[in-house]
Amino acid sequence: MKKLIYLAFISLSLQVSAQLDRSVMPKPAAAATIQLKESEVFTMDNGIIVILSENHKLPKVSFDLTLGYTPGMEGAKAGLGELTGSLIMSGTKNRSKDVLDKEIDFIGASLTANSTNLYLSTLTKHMEKGLEVMSDLTSNANFPTSEFERVVKQYQSSLLSVKSEGEAMANNATVKVNFPNHPYGEVMTVNTLSAISLEDVKNYYAANFTPQGAYMVIVGDITRAQAEQMMEKHFGSWTGKVPSKPSFADPKKLDGNQVYFVNKPGSVQSVIHVSFPLAMRMGNPNNLKMSVLNDVFGGNGFGTRLMQNLREDKAYTYGCYSGLNFQNEGGWVSITGNFRNAVTDSAITEIVNELNRLLAEKVSDDELALTKATKTGSFARSLERPQTIARFAYNIQRYGLPKDYYKNYLTNLNAISSSDLLELAQSYLKENNYNIVVVGNEEVLEKLKKFDSDGKIIQLDEFGDVKQAMVPADISAKDLALKYTLAVTQTKDLKSAMKKIAKVKSMTQNSTLKSDKIPFPLSNTEIYTNKGIRAEKMEFGGNVAQKSYFDGKTGYTFNMQTGEQKMTDEELKMAAFEQALFPEANLANNTSAVKMELLGIESDGANKYYVLKITQNENAQSINYYNVKTFMKEKVTKIQTVAGETESATSQFDQFLDEGGFLFPRHLIVSTAPITFDINIDKIEINGVVDLKGF
Amino acid sequence: MRKGFIFFLFVLGAFTAMSQTKINYIEYDLPNGIHVILHEEHSTPIVAVSVLYHVGSKNENTDKTGFAHFFEHLLFEGSQNIDRGDYAKLVEKNGGALNANTSQDRTFYYEILPSNQLELGIWLESERMLHAKVENVGIETQRSVVKEEKRQRVDNQPYAGFITEMFKRAFPSHPYNWVPIGSMEHLDAAQEQDYVQFYQDFYVPTNATISIAGDIPIEQTKKWIMTYFGSIPKGQALNLYRDCMAMDDAKFTAKYGMSKEMFNPKDYGNTKDKNALALIKKYSETPINIRRTQKDNTKINGVITDTIFDNIQLSAIFMGYKIPDQKNADSYALEFMNEVLSGGNSSRINKELVERKRLANYAGSFNYGLEDGGLNIFLALANDGISLPEVQKELDEQIRLMKDQLISAEEYETVLNKFEKQVVESYSTVAGIAENLADNHVYFGNAARTNQMLEMYRKVTREDILRVANTYLTDNARVILYYLPKEK
Repeated sequence: MKKLIYLAFISLSLQVSAQLDRSVMPKPAAAATIQLKESEVFTMDNGIIVILSENHKLPKVSFDLTLGYTPGMEGAKAGLGELTGSLIMSGTKNRSKDVLDKEIDFIGASLTANSTNLYLSTLTKHMEKGLEVMSDLTSNANFPTSEFERVVKQYQSSLLSVKSEGEAMANNATVKVNFPNHPYGEVMTVNTLSAISLEDVKNYYAANFTPQGAYMVIVGDITRAQAEQMMEKHFGSWTGKVPSKPSFADPKKLDGNQVYFVNKPGSVQSVIHVSFPLAMRMGNPNNLKMSVLNDVFGGNGFGTRLMQNLREDKAYTYGCYSGLNFQNEGGWVSITGNFRNAVTDSAITEIVNELNRLLAEKVSDDELALTKATKTGSFARSLERPQTIARFAYNIQRYGLPKDYYKNYLTNLNAISSSDLLELAQSYLKENNYNIVVVGNEEVLEKLKKFDSDGKIIQLDEFGDVKQAMVPADISAKDLALKYTLAVTQTKDLKSAMKKIAKVKSMTQNSTLKSDKIPFPLSNTEIYTNKGIRAEKMEFGGNVAQKSYFDGKTGYTFNMQTGEQKMTDEELKMAAFEQALFPEANLANNTSAVKMELLGIESDGANKYYVLKITQNENAQSINYYNVKTFMKEKVTKIQTVAGETESATSQFDQFLDEGGFLFPRHLIVSTAPITFDINIDKIEINGVVDLKGF
Repeated sequence: MRKGFIFFLFVLGAFTAMSQTKINYIEYDLPNGIHVILHEEHSTPIVAVSVLYHVGSKNENTDKTGFAHFFEHLLFEGSQNIDRGDYAKLVEKNGGALNANTSQDRTFYYEILPSNQLELGIWLESERMLHAKVENVGIETQRSVVKEEKRQRVDNQPYAGFITEMFKRAFPSHPYNWVPIGSMEHLDAAQEQDYVQFYQDFYVPTNATISIAGDIPIEQTKKWIMTYFGSIPKGQALNLYRDCMAMDDAKFTAKYGMSKEMFNPKDYGNTKDKNALALIKKYSETPINIRRTQKDNTKINGVITDTIFDNIQLSAIFMGYKIPDQKNADSYALEFMNEVLSGGNSSRINKELVERKRLANYAGSFNYGLEDGGLNIFLALANDGISLPEVQKELDEQIRLMKDQLISAEEYETVLNKFEKQVVESYSTVAGIAENLADNHVYFGNAARTNQMLEMYRKVTREDILRVANTYLTDNARVILYYLPKEK
């Protein structure tokens, strides 16, 4: 008896079930039928197409407005649409930005806007207030100057930080190389941003924010009668023109693999995007098949070819995915991942091989079954979001899909065969015809050559623009020095130039320096004499921050932290060269032995420059940029190595004005690692009284 | 029966028309100690199956940081009955999605499946708990994958290291000193025995909470849970079983004084051998004592200021203040305070630093509440040309205002309205509901908290907010990190 109880106790405590065979995977129960609820669609008198999907599970509702226009080319003002979108919520005729923000936050709602879309999500009980603000934005946004300036400044800051974001740089490069001369290939840069005016923004809004052809998708706890009433009340009186709908051709096909490289110093991983344009837009009958193929290849999940090969088998990456994009005006595929430097080339080899394999052989039955199951599952899971039903209705309307597209979705999915996919791959892809973008450390560059069909890697900048390779110059370095000398002295030949320069006994130049990092302006005095003196002193409030003095033979530097220091031999040599009023004149006249080399002609988009490298010694050089038309020196980058640390400072000059027969810049911007100075030259005096007090 | 069914439909219809504002659930313990929470709702034919293990990076040894997270990766490798690599495939093949995440305090695994695959989900998770199998090739692969994850998410992301740097300085003597990603050197040094030990210490019934939500039949679900999870041995008997499966006979005999031949590997609990049965009984009565950590009530020792050079373009400032553990009643007031400071466009920090004074590209604050303590963090990315001391001055000013004056009645109401919407939104997905219920049970000992959030926020008064700001935002005890661009 005791033993029996004992055994019973054990089996109870262990909950052993002799029937359970764990090695057998459980069978599914009967599948629940997926029922798609219907959405309702109605059109308002002013042209808004309303799609309503009622769902009363939670007491909330969302209003999603998509405007009817197609964004066109922005060219030199790339980013205009984006900037306009960021400014929609800056205020209206009736509400300042502060009031607007307060009203939305007060009801706990969220309201966002960009250039093509406004989205309100709120508890149903607060929808009236939310819609009042939302409709105010669509008709009455007023773009205050102060907000325009603030947001532009913010964009400037974020454009600066693009350089530290590998993913952003790779995206810029990818859209640019796949979509030349197409709105999808336009990227906002520092230059395009500065070309956009407040007037442009206002015009953009006026032209494109119109009810004609706009879609309003309403989802949630609201009835048809309520929806109609809300729409009429808040958007019924909104009027506007028919918006523009330009159309764009597909990009032309690629011709072999092309490698693009964006340098990101210090990276421990490379961001790789392998991409190509796809002649397939949203609404194409082959969309579903292509998305099945993409899912087998590298869509979502762990079971794809890319994940199994590059993560689970080789451990090159945390994740590698293939993104398929169908849009109104074009399509593309982009395979993306982050890979440590050492395996960057191996990863590309594997990605390219996997792509080529899609063209060479059918996908296996297992892969196809897995993908169909995954897609079926994700279709079912997506129905949890009430937005999904409304999105289905929207896609049918907007992209002209068959009315029963989503009802037949699972049937059509199941009918796809592996032969269909091979045929599809062969008609849309081409072996070794890929754009390979790598953002990373220069150390990986050499190993990328083998992937490029002609072995010429194209280097891009952070915005995806080609880093212009320099064109060989059409003149010699000495010619350039001469032309510059003639231009600044406004003379016809070297002899008259030298004569004119010799007449300058002294020059004193006063300037004011400003920086965001220093709360007060600094003043600077620079003195030149034809007896070999160069002296310079920077002051604030009567204190000398730094100064330097050179008398033709010896000299010193001084700053507040380190005090006075004698110039070294190397520094003296440099000072001797730079002491001249126009050092280039001595180069042209063969009276200086400093080494110069004309590197070529570089273009920054707007202007072309001769690039002259002047080497003082192995630790000091400067790169000077002379405008090819005017020969004015518009930019100088000085690079110096002191105690093993390399520092550089770039000065940009403009406002060249006549003083005593010479052209001098009156404004410059000097930037060095932590600080940028904006400098105005207030006064230049030639042959006046020389005041060397304090040196 | 038929009548009952129609009646049920009617009730359901009435209920859905009214909109859901409360999560119904049941909860119970299995005899082996696993806690079970079930939430039934039929709006979509899907189900979320999750298991929460109450182990995170704070349970790691100082010389084995990163283990909890690494272990999470390893537990997708397979089991005695699931071949290496098949775990994820089985889920995806059956129309599901899966993932997991590891925090300082817990590790959470879940599958979202079509509801007719509920039993599959339960089986998969029970396999993971009973006898996960990790082979050396899997260890090597996942080690590299985790390293790539760290490179991608931390090393190569601007500012991403700030959480690591902040906790390192704010928690010198508590395991929050390191973050879940841990040290790659420690992972490299790890031995097979370390993994076995971690599994035996923490992946056990008394440390696990099953939470299932969605289109489920409650009674059938309970039966399946009993079958698959109820059969997992109790107490140390589980580890006896695991050793029996994994060790060779010599090692097993050395440890247990008995050959593993005495056990029936197919049906371990039903051995005929008396001594073996006695051993199982003894071990099943021996509980597994899970090492818990202590709350960290220490203060930050003065003002700790450091500068970090990173691959960034805009300089940034991060300020951290110690706050109590998330269970402390002041947590609600702290959350409230952070909403006033940085929730939404109209919030104070956004208005002042970003919009009016234009000092920052982004600025905000949040509370990083954890089981043993936490941090209230302020951060700002300075606009180009703005110095960090200027930004700090303004952040300090916002903190001072919070300490000097009650928030306005309007701000109070704004935040409550926002919380109300957040609570409603937290009920949108079955996966979110399953996770909420499990978290609330484990951290607060109260799954019902899922339905009490708004009530908790409503209890907070404006005076409470003033008080917590003064108590915790201490000028003389905080960590200040300056992030500056590395010189090129």
